[in-house]
Amino acid sequence: MKTETWERDVPVFDVPIWTRPFIALCGLGALGMLLVAYREIVGLGPASGMNDAYAWGIWKTFNTMVLTGVGSGAFAVGIAAWIFKRNNLHVVMRTALLTSLLAYLFGLAMLGVDVGRPWNFYWIAFPWHWNLHSPLLEVAVCMSVYATIPLLLENVPAGLEYAFDQWPQYQPILKKVEKFLMAGYPWIVSLAYVLPAMHQSSLGALMLLGGTRVSPLWQTPFLPLLYVWAAAFLGFACVTSTILFSGIMWNRPFDLDVLNELNRITIWLIGAWLVFRTVDLTVRGQIVAAFHADIYAVLFWMEMILLAVSVWMLRDANANQNVRKMFIGQLVVAVAGMLYRFSPTTLAFQPKPGAFYFPSAIETLISLGFIAIAVAIFIFLAKILAILPAPMRLWNAMEARKARKASAQKVPARVGRGQLVTGD
Amino acid sequence: MELNRRDLLKKLSAGTAAAAAGGAVSVAALGGIAHAEEPAQAPAEAVGLLYDATRCIGCQSCVVACTKANGLEPDNRRDPLHQAPTDLNSRTKTIIKLYKPAKAGEEFSYVKQQCMHCVDPACVAACMFGGLKKDAKSGIVTWTGKYCVGCRYCEIACPYHVPKFRWEGFNPEIVKCELCKERLAKGQEPACTSVCPRKAVIFGPRKQLLDEAKSRIAANPGKYYQDRVFGEHEGGGTQVLYLAHVDFENLGLPALGDESVPQKYLKWQHRLYSYLIVPIGLYATLVGTISKNWKHHQEHAEIEEKNTGLRPQI
Amino acid sequence: MSKHQTIAEQLEAAGVSRRSFVQLCGMLMVSAPVGLALTSKQSVLQVAETIGKAKRPSVIWLHFQDCTGCSETLLRTSRPDVADLILNVISLDYHETLMAASGYQAEAALKQAVDENAGKFVLVVEGSIPTKDKGQYMKLAGKPAIDVLNEIGNKAAAVIAMGSCAAWGGVPSADPNPTGAQGVDSILKSKPVVNLPGCPTNPYNLLAVVLEYATMNRLPALDQYNRPKFAFDRLIHDHCPRRAHFDNGRFVKEFGDDGHREGWCLYKMGCKGPVTHAACSTRHFNETPDVWPIGIGAPCVGCTEKDIAFRVPIFQTVEIHGVTPPDAYPLVNMPIGTVGLGAAALVGAVAGGLGGAALMASKRLPESAPPAGKVENETKKSEKPQPVGD
Repeated sequence: MKTETWERDVPVFDVPIWTRPFIALCGLGALGMLLVAYREIVGLGPASGMNDAYAWGIWKTFNTMVLTGVGSGAFAVGIAAWIFKRNNLHVVMRTALLTSLLAYLFGLAMLGVDVGRPWNFYWIAFPWHWNLHSPLLEVAVCMSVYATIPLLLENVPAGLEYAFDQWPQYQPILKKVEKFLMAGYPWIVSLAYVLPAMHQSSLGALMLLGGTRVSPLWQTPFLPLLYVWAAAFLGFACVTSTILFSGIMWNRPFDLDVLNELNRITIWLIGAWLVFRTVDLTVRGQIVAAFHADIYAVLFWMEMILLAVSVWMLRDANANQNVRKMFIGQLVVAVAGMLYRFSPTTLAFQPKPGAFYFPSAIETLISLGFIAIAVAIFIFLAKILAILPAPMRLWNAMEARKARKASAQKVPARVGRGQLVTGD
Repeated sequence: MELNRRDLLKKLSAGTAAAAAGGAVSVAALGGIAHAEEPAQAPAEAVGLLYDATRCIGCQSCVVACTKANGLEPDNRRDPLHQAPTDLNSRTKTIIKLYKPAKAGEEFSYVKQQCMHCVDPACVAACMFGGLKKDAKSGIVTWTGKYCVGCRYCEIACPYHVPKFRWEGFNPEIVKCELCKERLAKGQEPACTSVCPRKAVIFGPRKQLLDEAKSRIAANPGKYYQDRVFGEHEGGGTQVLYLAHVDFENLGLPALGDESVPQKYLKWQHRLYSYLIVPIGLYATLVGTISKNWKHHQEHAEIEEKNTGLRPQI
Repeated sequence: MSKHQTIAEQLEAAGVSRRSFVQLCGMLMVSAPVGLALTSKQSVLQVAETIGKAKRPSVIWLHFQDCTGCSETLLRTSRPDVADLILNVISLDYHETLMAASGYQAEAALKQAVDENAGKFVLVVEGSIPTKDKGQYMKLAGKPAIDVLNEIGNKAAAVIAMGSCAAWGGVPSADPNPTGAQGVDSILKSKPVVNLPGCPTNPYNLLAVVLEYATMNRLPALDQYNRPKFAFDRLIHDHCPRRAHFDNGRFVKEFGDDGHREGWCLYKMGCKGPVTHAACSTRHFNETPDVWPIGIGAPCVGCTEKDIAFRVPIFQTVEIHGVTPPDAYPLVNMPIGTVGLGAAALVGAVAGGLGGAALMASKRLPESAPPAGKVENETKKSEKPQPVGD
C-alpha cells in the first residue's frame, strides 16, 4: 500500500448511507432508548445492577468518565497541533473534533439518564447555589460548558462548509458567520484546552473521595494528573484508530507520515506516563501491592503491560510502516487506557467487604445503545461532511462524481469553490 | 519571526484582559474557598449521640422507634413477617448489627449504625448543589430534595456508607438519619434514644457526651477498646460517638486519620482552583500562544487557497 | 333486687369477706392497668375504698340475638365467690337467664326495673339486633328488638354493648346475614355506647367499665370504635406470650406436630393475632392462666374484629402490618450485589464480538508498505473509486 499525503478532509462520498452495519447500530440505539424509557418509569434499581455499595454503575463510570477520556482527541491532538505546532496534524483535526463532540454529548446524555432526579439539574445555571468544594460540580459545569460552547463551535466549520456547498444562496451569511468565528478562534480554541484540562483532571479527583477504599495501586494525590494524561493518549488512540478503521471500512488511503506522527506522540505520552506512575507508586511505598496475589495486582499489571506492549508495537509499526500493527497497537492503547480510567471507579474500588457489582443486561444494553447512536452519527456525518482526511485525488474524484451526476440530471453542478458551473 | 510592538501590545492586552475578566468573575464567585485549608470545628451547639456497645442488648427498640418516628415503612422485603433489613437502606435509618468474633475467646458486640453527623462531612463536600447541608448551629446533616440531583456521589464519598438511595420507582431520595430534627424542635429527644431501655444510646450536646464518654473510660480502665471514644478526632471528628469493647473496625467504623475526608483528599483541588488563578493564567498563556500560531496558520491557508482554488478547511 | 345502698354496705350484708373483695379489686387492677381512672395510680386498698363508698349501680341486662356466652363468661369462674362478688357489687336488676321470674312476671320485672331507675341504670346489651323485615326475627314480649332497645336505651344512663354481637353484629351478621343483624350503636344513636367486642369478651372488661361509671360517673377513654382503650388499644400479637417464637421463626406447621407440642407460634396456622385488637394475651379467661385460644394451642380467630371474625377463614394467614425486627441480626458486613447469568454472558459476548471484529478488520490492513518510489499498489485502481460497501 502506498502512502499518500493527506491534504484535505473529504466526505466518504462513495458509500451509501443505509448500510447493514449502520442499520444495526440504529437498531441497537433504538433498543437503548426504549430501555431508557423503561428505566425512567421503574427507577434505577430494577433497570441496573447498581446497589448501595456500588452506587455508580457503568453509566457514569464508563460512558461518562471513560468515554469522554477517549473523546479527548480534540484536546490532545489540538494541543499538539496548535501549541506544539505539529502542523501536519491539522488535517486529522476534524476527525478528532467530531469524535470528541459525540463522545461528550453522549457522555453527558448518559449522565442525564444515570442521575435519579435530573429535573434538578437546572441549579447548574445558578452559580450561587454551586458547592465549590465538589469535584463533581466542577465536572458537570465544565463539561457542559465545554461541549456546548468551544467544542461545538470548533465543529461548526465542517457544517459551514457543507452548507456553503449545498445552499449557495446563503453564502453571504455563511461567510459572515465564518468570519465571526475566525475572529474569535484562538479564544475558543484556548478555552477548548483549558476546560478539558480542568474537567478531565476533576474526573480523576472524583475518586479521591473514595479514600482507602480505592486500591492504593490507583489511589494517589496525583490521580487527577494521571487521569488527564491518560485522556491525552486515549484521545490519540481514538483518533488514530478511527481513521484506520474508517480506512479499512471505506477503502481510504493512509498517510504514513501523519500516522507516524500520531504514533510517536502517543508513544511519548504513554512512556512518560508509565514512568510517572511507577515513580509515584514507589515514592508512596505502594509498589509492594503490585506483587500481592489479588485481583488488583492482576488489573495493575494488565494495564501496565498492555501499555508497554502498545508502546513496543507502535515503535515497531512506525519503524516498519506496518499499518496493521499500528491499528492493533492503538487499540491496545485504547483498551489499556480505558481500563486505567475505569479501574479506580469500580474494579479497584471495594467500598466494604462482601460488596459486589456487575452491570445488569439492561444496563449494558443502554450503555451500548448510547455508544451505538454516537457511532452511527459519526458514520453518517463522515459520509456527508468533510471529516476524514484524504489525499487530493479523492477530493477531485468526489468533485468529478458530483459533476457527472449533475450533467446526468442536466442541472447546474456545484463544484469547487461553490461557483455555479453548467454541466457540459 | 517578527514581533513588532503592535503585535506584542495586542497579545499582552489580550492576555491581561482575559486574566482581568476571569479574575473579577472568580473573586465574585469563589469567596471563601481559601478557608478550606483550616480544619473544621464542631459548632458550639453541636448535638450528637453516644452509643456504648457494652450496654446495648440488641433489643432493636431503637430500630422500631426510628421507623415509626420517621414515618417509614418497615423493611420487610427480605422477610415478609419481620422488619429485617441487612443494612441501612431507603427504608431504614438506623440498624443494629452483630459482630461475631472471628477468633475464639473474642467477644461479640452489637453495633448501632446511623449517620455520624461528621464535623466536616464528606457527603456535604461532595454534593453538587448543596442537597446535603450541615446545620450551622446543631451540626445536624440534613438532605433536601430541592437541590438533590440523585447523582449518588454522597454514597461514594461517605466513609461510613450512610446515605442510601431509593432505587425503585420515580422521584427517588437519599435517606439517612437526621437526628429526628422535628422531634428536637419540639423539645423531645430523638426517637432511638427515647426508647433505649438501657440508655446504651443517649443524646446530648457533643461536649457533654465526650465528657461522659471519657468519664466512663476513666471509671473503667481496660473495659473500652484502647481506652478511647471513636469520633473525637477520627475523620475530623463526628457528632455521633462510639464506645466499644472490641476493635472499632470490626464494628464497621473504619480507621481514619485525624484529617477529615474532604480535608485530606481535596486539598490540592482547592489549592489549584483557588480564585481560579491557575485556570485563568493557563487560559491567558494559551490565548497568547495560539493567537500567534493561528495567524501563521491563516497565512498558510491563504497561500494554499491561492494555489488550489479550494476554500481552506478549518 | 336489693335496695341501693353502697357497695360496702351490700357486701357486708351479704357476708362477703373483705379479703375476697380486696382480691376482686386486685383483679380489676390487673385487668385494667391503664386507661381507667378508677385504678390509675392507686393502691389496691385505695381502689377498695373508692368502690366501697360508691352506690351499687343498677344494671339492666337485655338479651337479643345472642348465645348467652357473654353472660356465661361473667359467671364462668373457678371460684364461686367471685360470681357472688360481682352480683353484690352491681345490682343486676334484670337478667333473663339469671333471674327467677319468667313470663308476665319477667315483663313486669323489666318495667319496674326501668321505671325505678330511669336515667340512672346502666344498660348492658348482649346479642345483635335484627333489622330485616321490620326486625321480626327477634322479639321480646312480642316487641321487635329494635323497639325494645330504643325504648329502654333512651332511659339508660349508659349503654354497654357486651360481646361482638352487640358491638357490631357478631356471628348472626356473618354472610349472608339473613336477619340483617347489626350492633347496638347502629340502632341506638341517642346515647353513648361502649363497645366490648369479643366472643365472649373478658368479664373484667365489663366490670371495669361499670365500676368506673359507678365510682367516677364517667366512661373510660374510648377509641374510634368506642371500645375502651385500656383493653382494645393493643394487638394480640404485640403482647402474645408466643411472640418470641414468632420472632425466632419457630412456627407450628401442623396441629399436633412437635412445634405445636412445644407451644410454638401459631401464625402459619392462621392466627389472627397480628390484626386483632383485644387484651386476651395478657388477661386470660376463667381466671386460670393460659385459658385463652392461643394458650391452649388454637390460633386466634379475631373475634373482636368486625372485618376478621366470621369473615376471614380461620386458617388463612394474615398480613403483618407494622413489622418489627426478628430475634436475629445482620452481620456488620453482609454480601451485597449479584450478577445474573444473562448479564455476564452479554458483557462477554460484547467484549468478544468487539475484539473479534477488531482483529478481522486489522487483517485487511497491509503489514508493510513497499519501498518508497513504487507506484503500483495492491488494490485495484479503476476509473471510479469502488464502493466497497460498509
